[in-house]
Amino acid sequence: MAASDSDDVNLAYDDTADDDYFYLDDTDDDLHPPQASDSLDDDQLQGSDSHNDDDDDLLQSSDRHDDGDHDCDDNDDGDENALEEDDHDSPISGQNFSVLTEADIRHRIKDNIAEVSSILSISKNEASSLLLHYNWSVNNIFDSWFADEKAAREKAGLFLEPLIESPDHGSSFCVICFEDYPCDGTKSTSCGHRYCNDCWSSYIKTAIADGPQSLLLTCPHPSCRAAVGEDMVGLFASEKEKNKYSSYIVMSYIESKKMIKWCPGPGCENAIDFVAGSENLDVSCLCSHSFCWNCTQDAHRPVDCETVTKWMSKNSSESGNVNYILAFTKPCPKCKRPIEKNMGCSHMTCRAPCLYEFCWLCLGDWNNHGTCNRFKGNPEEEKREKAKQYVMKYTHYFERWATNQNSMKKGAADLQKVQTEQIEVLSRIQAQPLAQISFVTEAWKQIIECRRVLAWTYAYGFYLPEECEAKRNLFEYLQGQAESGLERLHDCAEKELLSYLKDKISVEGFIEFRKKLTLLTRVTRNYFDNLVAALQNGLSDVNSGSSSVSKKRKSNWAAAAVNAAPVLDTNINDNSATAPAPAAAASAMEPWACAYCSYENQSSATNCAMCGRGSWTCDVCTYANSRTSATCAMCTEAPEP
Amino acid sequence: MKASRARLFKEYKEVQREKTADPDIQLVCDDSNIFKWTALIKGPSETPYEGGVFQLAFAVPEQYPLQPPQVRFLTKIFHPNVHFKTGEICLDILKNAWSPAWTLQSVCRAIIALMAHPEPDSPLNCDSGNLLRSGDMRGFQSMARMYTRLAAMPKKG
Repeated sequence: MAASDSDDVNLAYDDTADDDYFYLDDTDDDLHPPQASDSLDDDQLQGSDSHNDDDDDLLQSSDRHDDGDHDCDDNDDGDENALEEDDHDSPISGQNFSVLTEADIRHRIKDNIAEVSSILSISKNEASSLLLHYNWSVNNIFDSWFADEKAAREKAGLFLEPLIESPDHGSSFCVICFEDYPCDGTKSTSCGHRYCNDCWSSYIKTAIADGPQSLLLTCPHPSCRAAVGEDMVGLFASEKEKNKYSSYIVMSYIESKKMIKWCPGPGCENAIDFVAGSENLDVSCLCSHSFCWNCTQDAHRPVDCETVTKWMSKNSSESGNVNYILAFTKPCPKCKRPIEKNMGCSHMTCRAPCLYEFCWLCLGDWNNHGTCNRFKGNPEEEKREKAKQYVMKYTHYFERWATNQNSMKKGAADLQKVQTEQIEVLSRIQAQPLAQISFVTEAWKQIIECRRVLAWTYAYGFYLPEECEAKRNLFEYLQGQAESGLERLHDCAEKELLSYLKDKISVEGFIEFRKKLTLLTRVTRNYFDNLVAALQNGLSDVNSGSSSVSKKRKSNWAAAAVNAAPVLDTNINDNSATAPAPAAAASAMEPWACAYCSYENQSSATNCAMCGRGSWTCDVCTYANSRTSATCAMCTEAPEP
Repeated sequence: MKASRARLFKEYKEVQREKTADPDIQLVCDDSNIFKWTALIKGPSETPYEGGVFQLAFAVPEQYPLQPPQVRFLTKIFHPNVHFKTGEICLDILKNAWSPAWTLQSVCRAIIALMAHPEPDSPLNCDSGNLLRSGDMRGFQSMARMYTRLAAMPKKG
């Protein structure tokens, strides 16, 4: 299998662009020789080469793959991915997947073909026919090939001997166009059925235009199963059709792999290779589209796929409207049209043609209406009241979900802006190298991720059963903390950054700012990671009926609290806290009134349940601290006694 | 377009030259349009179609022979794989098993073979298919024979 360097058929997927990809090792250039993509050599159209020749192999790079250590099946990502992981680490999760660009996929395909061809000592063209027939399972090919080579060859339509004698000289009759041709004007695949070049060309073109089934194209002869593979396509198809054919190959490869899926992002051509068994299902593509591996909806941690489907169908369906009608209208007792009350008095008159007059409260006929103030209990009324509550609850959660979704989208746009413009401006004005400024993009990535998570916590909250009060309380508390932490980060990245974009204040000031934003980013990340973990656990810390936090989880939260201490108030009521704040010490077990909104809080509450603020204000920096903190979480100043 | 025309012209000449080669098939090209053909085929012997002459209409696509011709019965026929109203034929070589090496003549031969060996499991004419599938050979044959007499035989007198 000597491969020649010079007259390689170099199609679009022998991509010259490979070298642009950041994770490709430049020294590894025997994999991707930078080549101009020369068009199909004319001399090959003469049909002088035998079709088994390596030279006309479509998917072949000009050099043999020498690495030889490629795994057979799904895991041949090898060293590229190791490099890759470092480069696009998602902001929150550890890497549970790798992104495959089109070039990577072609790379893997080439590797597969090279492996099969070298182990079975067959041409690359035959190898790719085998792979197509065996659904890209290299192991299956080896199994059946070594069990029964003839059967395997038959299945893929690769014949060792021609089925019919075909003369190599004289003339040959093409049974498609019914013309006689000199032998060198005709061609055949392994079966030996000869057709003229024109007929081959239109046969192959028609097949490719018909769709991906052209990958399993066979000889035109009735009931002949000989494969018409890449070599023939390379000879007879136009550049455009070859590209189409090669994209069919890529599609077929991806579809045969259970652990690889296309990125559903609009216009994105990358695929995601998922690590089997990973718990985190969220993946994000290079196109910055994040999605759930399982359901391919937008990423939705910490909510599970089922809830997402429910939530999304709820948002799109009319069920909300129906509930609105139920809650805010009453049907006319006579014609049953829903009526919304728009005036103060209870004397209702239905629209023409009904014109029925009735009492809004009891729905009785107005003409003999006396009083209806006595309570009789009305199941209809109760139902309406419930529906009203439900609609209000839904509106509440939906509004917050949608706002965060929009914030996330805005954040993605802002990140774009930061990356394309602000970074450079900042680097110039503050006279800092670009590497020292990457913390800004980090912060923005974190904001986007957190907005996404926060949005979904509202769907989570909507479906959290009303009965589990302890759970609800914990959830709402955690969510509230997450929200205010994120707001702080967002505000810092958005507003404070602006002043540094205008002019240079001082180096120290900028370094201070960098410290702050970096810290906020880290703290927020930790907090959200813990939040996601807790929600995915179904808030298992809460035993039914009590709001105590289990020991193990508490230590986790405490760890987060250590990280978060300067900025984020996590308020885990740790027993080991030796010096309770004076305010807390004074009223450890008593209900306390919030200093801001005067809400009477339960003794266990560390922050006001109504306004979310802490219970005491630092005199130095005015930060509202939680009850349990002995010193100000912001400026570490101790409160005055 | 050009290729299909050339190929059809070749087939036309072949048909002219070997008119007597297959007495069961008579292929005629439309006078003004080489993409329209009709064929008269004789019902195969020892079948309920024996003695009948059936007319087929061919509509040849421009991509012929890369794509199969569309063929239908103009003569009414009671057969599980022929639509009773439209005359449409369910035959694999006219769909996905088409090969450009087939000719109009060989399609006619395949249709004659289909008349002799119906495939009741993929019926276009369910009544006919059900008769065969339930094993009622007598019922099937008498129906088929009746329609052959009614539609495919020259009227006597």
